Amino acid sequence: MAKFILNGESMTADVESDTPLLWVIRDELDMTGTKFGCGIGTCGACTVHVGGRATRSCITPVSSVEGAEITTIEGLSEKDDHPLQISWKNLQVPQCGYCQSGQIMQAAALLKDIPKPSDKDIDAVMGGNLCRCMTYVRIRSAIHEAANAIEGEQL
Amino acid sequence: MSRLPKRNSPGITRRGFLIGMTAVGISFGFPRHLMAAMDPASPDGKVLPSEGELYEPSLWYSIDTAGKIKVNIMRSEMGQHVGTAIARILADELEADWDDVEIIHVDSDPRWGYMVTGGSWSISQSWPVYRQAGAAGRTALIEAAAKKWGITAKECEAKNGKIISSKGELSYGELVSLGLTRQFTEEELKTLPLKANEDLKLVGQQVTSLDVANKTNGKTIYGIDAKVDGMVYANPILPPTRYGSKVATFDDSAAKAVKGYQKTIVLDDASGSVPGWLMVIASSFIAAQKASKLVKVTWDAGETANVSEANIIDHGKKLLSDSSKGSILDTGNTKTEPVFEGASSSISHEYITSTVLHAQMEPVNALVFKNPDGVWEVHSGCQWQSLTLPVLATALGEDVANIVIRTYMLGGGFGRRLNGDYTIPAALTSKALGGKPVKMVLMRPQDMLFDSARSASVQQLKMAFDDKKSVTAMEHHATAGWPTQVLAPGFMPKGVNDEPYDPFAIAGADHWYSVGAQKVRAISNDLAMATFRPGWLRSVGPGWTGWAVESFMDEAAHHAGKDPVQFRLDMLIAEGRNAGTTPVAEGGAARQAVVLKKAAEMIGWGSEQPENTGLGIASTFGQERDMPTWVSCAVQVQVNKSNGLVDVKKLVVVIDAGIIVDPNGAEAQCQGAALWGLSMALYEGTELRDGQYKDTNFDTYTPLRLGQTPEVKIEFIASKMPPSGLGEPAVTAVAPAIANAIYQAVGVRLRKIPMKPSELKSALDKA
Amino acid sequence: MLKRIVYGVSGAVIVGLGLFSFYAWNSSIDPIAPPVNADYPPQVIEQGKILAAAGYCSTCHTTPGGEAYAGNYEMHTEFGTIYSSNITPDVETGIGGWSEAAFNRAMRTGVSRDGHHLLPAFPFEHFNKMSDDDIGAIYAYIMTSIPAVNQVKKENGIPFPLNIRWLQAGWKLLFADTQNFEINDSKSEQWNRGAYLAEGVAHCGACHTPRNVLGGEKYDQMYQGAAIDGWIAPSLTSTSTSPIPWRAQDFYEYLTTGNSPYHGSAAGPMAPVMHKGLSALPKSDVEAISYYFADHSGAKESDDPAANSNLQTAIAAQHIQTDLRIDEGARLYATACQACHYSSDELVKGRPLLTLGSATHLDQPTNLVNVILDGVRNDQGISGVVMPGFRDALSDQDISAIAAYLRQAAGKSAWPELQQKVIEIRNQPRFEQ
Repeated sequence: MAKFILNGESMTADVESDTPLLWVIRDELDMTGTKFGCGIGTCGACTVHVGGRATRSCITPVSSVEGAEITTIEGLSEKDDHPLQISWKNLQVPQCGYCQSGQIMQAAALLKDIPKPSDKDIDAVMGGNLCRCMTYVRIRSAIHEAANAIEGEQL
Repeated sequence: MSRLPKRNSPGITRRGFLIGMTAVGISFGFPRHLMAAMDPASPDGKVLPSEGELYEPSLWYSIDTAGKIKVNIMRSEMGQHVGTAIARILADELEADWDDVEIIHVDSDPRWGYMVTGGSWSISQSWPVYRQAGAAGRTALIEAAAKKWGITAKECEAKNGKIISSKGELSYGELVSLGLTRQFTEEELKTLPLKANEDLKLVGQQVTSLDVANKTNGKTIYGIDAKVDGMVYANPILPPTRYGSKVATFDDSAAKAVKGYQKTIVLDDASGSVPGWLMVIASSFIAAQKASKLVKVTWDAGETANVSEANIIDHGKKLLSDSSKGSILDTGNTKTEPVFEGASSSISHEYITSTVLHAQMEPVNALVFKNPDGVWEVHSGCQWQSLTLPVLATALGEDVANIVIRTYMLGGGFGRRLNGDYTIPAALTSKALGGKPVKMVLMRPQDMLFDSARSASVQQLKMAFDDKKSVTAMEHHATAGWPTQVLAPGFMPKGVNDEPYDPFAIAGADHWYSVGAQKVRAISNDLAMATFRPGWLRSVGPGWTGWAVESFMDEAAHHAGKDPVQFRLDMLIAEGRNAGTTPVAEGGAARQAVVLKKAAEMIGWGSEQPENTGLGIASTFGQERDMPTWVSCAVQVQVNKSNGLVDVKKLVVVIDAGIIVDPNGAEAQCQGAALWGLSMALYEGTELRDGQYKDTNFDTYTPLRLGQTPEVKIEFIASKMPPSGLGEPAVTAVAPAIANAIYQAVGVRLRKIPMKPSELKSALDKA
Repeated sequence: MLKRIVYGVSGAVIVGLGLFSFYAWNSSIDPIAPPVNADYPPQVIEQGKILAAAGYCSTCHTTPGGEAYAGNYEMHTEFGTIYSSNITPDVETGIGGWSEAAFNRAMRTGVSRDGHHLLPAFPFEHFNKMSDDDIGAIYAYIMTSIPAVNQVKKENGIPFPLNIRWLQAGWKLLFADTQNFEINDSKSEQWNRGAYLAEGVAHCGACHTPRNVLGGEKYDQMYQGAAIDGWIAPSLTSTSTSPIPWRAQDFYEYLTTGNSPYHGSAAGPMAPVMHKGLSALPKSDVEAISYYFADHSGAKESDDPAANSNLQTAIAAQHIQTDLRIDEGARLYATACQACHYSSDELVKGRPLLTLGSATHLDQPTNLVNVILDGVRNDQGISGVVMPGFRDALSDQDISAIAAYLRQAAGKSAWPELQQKVIEIRNQPRFEQ
């Protein structure tokens, strides 16, 4: 029985200990916002936060996160109003949208650790998240816009 | 040549508008994640209920008594925001209040006509239909208001969801409450007055696409998210060759140790989609996946088990060397031989493109079951429902009328989901289990191995010149695996020699340059066809013919001693067959000249460049001659001579696609397409090895990533011409522009994509 | 902590057998009825609980998911597989019949109540440094607070003649440090407290001190690093290959949070040392241990890592990334690792800078490869933060390319035969805890 905290709520799931976190979230707990892309941690579609850090859930066995706090796209904000979600909507970043939960979760972790990321930081940290629609130009702009919005709030 | 269902097939333009529609789009009461139709703007895709009686002026929408307008979209949503764009066309003509508009992506009911989303056709084809539909509703509402007020229709005006006159105003909802029933015949529809293009208010304006919000909070439901009570999961075991492998033995004793494992079955597929497949069935996805790794299978492998990429390229060259082979397109004067014989000089070059995978982010998947009414329901992302249904019918041994595809949001299309072969194994497994719901999700390596790749290609181009170095004739011989031949042979037209050809494996070669005698010959590479299943991939044929034509034009310009831009402009003459026909292609080569000049201006064509830096330009007409999207791409590249790396510094794309319905979405499509072009030029590509694609995951298959993305500038030419398409065209001109820029930078010509650093380095070393 | 069996083999044989048998013989100590709670003041039991944790008793005496202290924890050694003893107060199968004297003798000399020699996987020579009071406290805690579990110890898979128990005596004679702990008057009180804990109950040297061919600790190379359980226990002295020397505050941060931004995270066998062990000690004791080890490493508290040119070099190194199109390792790193490791100009805790990390700078790729293969769980490294494992995701070639890229970026000479090492590390028994 796996136990962890998902979006602030205690969860248990009756799964084998080597089951990847991704499939526990998607199939056992019925939260499908987190996506399956490559299964080897190279595309970023499955990115969730564990302890506030972006983590590839497709290669993270559920036994690894025993007792940890996990946040998925569904729990990133209460009203879908995380600064990144706002800038993502403003700039209409998503096309097919499939990778975007992972992109936003990755970017949210980035802004938490580096509130004013340079282009170089964005290149490095977002480089593991593939977007086959190639929304990269807008992803970059939206991260800067959200960073500016957060900075503005703090002034 | 004509692309898919427009005039000669039961396309939407032939649909009448008399078919009533009730309850369409209302979810059938299934549990969450199982949809009959989807509203991508509502939570979890559920279609919102309507209020009161509905008025349905046409098949394509309804208005309820609250004035809410539900627009039926039979195109699949895969990132183009197609529903929003189509609804804008309708709402504009209807004079609707945009805030009242909802969109519904519908199932594969025959009432919607021929269902396909591809070819960049959606807007171009929907434009006349939804405008007529909007005009019908506007006319009916005005008539109803005039009657109520006892005045003439001419005294009434429709504006922003209301009919206004000197008598006051009535909202659309109020008018529907009066009980509207007015219907229109197809003949009536054609005569309805449309707004002048200049008067369109929603079209061409910025709008937030209705599907965007749910794509930022995880609420969009894709095929992979479909669920139904009692479903089992299936994961396949793929044979060593795409065709011809037969299962000899299998042993699942080790798999039995996996908790939740149920059984393994060998598929018997009458449709020929998945020969030699086994399906491993379990109570969870992860159990099925785990178990499938433990089942030991032996096959009698098909004949192509040793075929390599080099074999396919060599075979292509052999085919091209036989002048009796292939289909010759109608390009006017095709008698090039005498011109070449009398030419004062000529050039000839060969261009190669590597196998390219779709690698869409959502691996293919399907949920299939037989519902209590005995209807087979296929829940999946799908681009070509009307092509997939008959294949499902063959596989299931059922009537097409007894199968419905419920299309979810697509986690990437790019042409992969035009070929619905991935629904077949799920359907066959469900059938083997008596109609029980079966959910199949391919693991990434399975998805890649099962891809319908863009075939490798070989192209040989020749050009004849007179003594003034003017062009007098051109030949273009091309061979590749033909997707249409294997998947939709009925869509293959015939050439002037009565041989059929795949338009999606040659279009682009029949360009708009006036080159005198012109021969375009297309040959199907039968070794490619036998080894894998070629597919349509974003920008199809023009994605690689454009590479050859526009690289070759640059080489020809240098041979002629002319500026590459001027060389092209001299041949872009809007005369004869290059004048273009109404409505969409009107203007012809003259419009291509405009985009070419604009791109040259934007990149600073002719300006002094730093060392090892060069400018390159290319121009195409997008997809096909009857729906041209005029494209020009210009780039600035810098070459690192020590390691052969090419750095694209600037990338400019200029496009004339007629009226731009959704400017923001259009820009996004062109950015994405241009970057696909860049990715296929410098970053991605695979090869056949031992009969299969060498790369099966993103550790070795390497599409463009964010850090590799240059600044991309997209410029649209303002136009009042009817819209063409935008999903693909920007792909086509990028690779040749880069190759041409490399030549300008360091004097080395690359004739194969992807252009690998190692190959440029060795070419530089030789030069 | 010690999972590696250390065996006297031929060393014992060369000793004159006659005399030796006499020496090797130990008397049995009579069994007793297990003591009860009332026999011990609560503060003694509490002290025992803390010390038992700091000695990681449960780590070696509990199977994963099994009953605490019931033994049968499997240890893979070069000499064979062995199983730990049941040390619950069960009279029949545990130590329920042991008197405190018997327990004290076992802790100090590695001799069981019935007189037979325990295998030196049990680090008695460290526990011998403890005071009688502290040993007694652990005894009190086990006997009164651990539920008795009736579980028979599995037979060790040690072949003859290594399984002859009295040969152990010879090993002890040759290698065991039989000295009790002595205060070093030239050092401070804090240093001595740290030394008492580190050398005694925490038995740090059992992993971090190199051993001779017969498994005896080389006391002249104390804490200079050793291979252990498929990992490398790095040097804690000035011989450390870490680009940034370990200061007391670095040790303290590492031991209390599972991570030092300048060095890396506690993974593998080190993870339970801090999570299940030292976390039980009072702050002052962890400070003392940190102070003690800083004396070995030679770094001063006043050193400023930010001013260390090695830090700037490591930060700069990650940006000299060869283009991803021509460097497979750089590409895989950018694809699979950088999203979490960031490669930014600021150090972010929990986002280790791998061009700086200890694992990249060790002479062996072992630790780096182990972490790539199996990640870092919630109960390892920083609590609440995990790293996924790439064991089933990336090939040996992929992993060696990443490791080679990092090694090169860190400015170190290439690890020889790296891909072969990756295969070996992948196939070695996984450290389970």
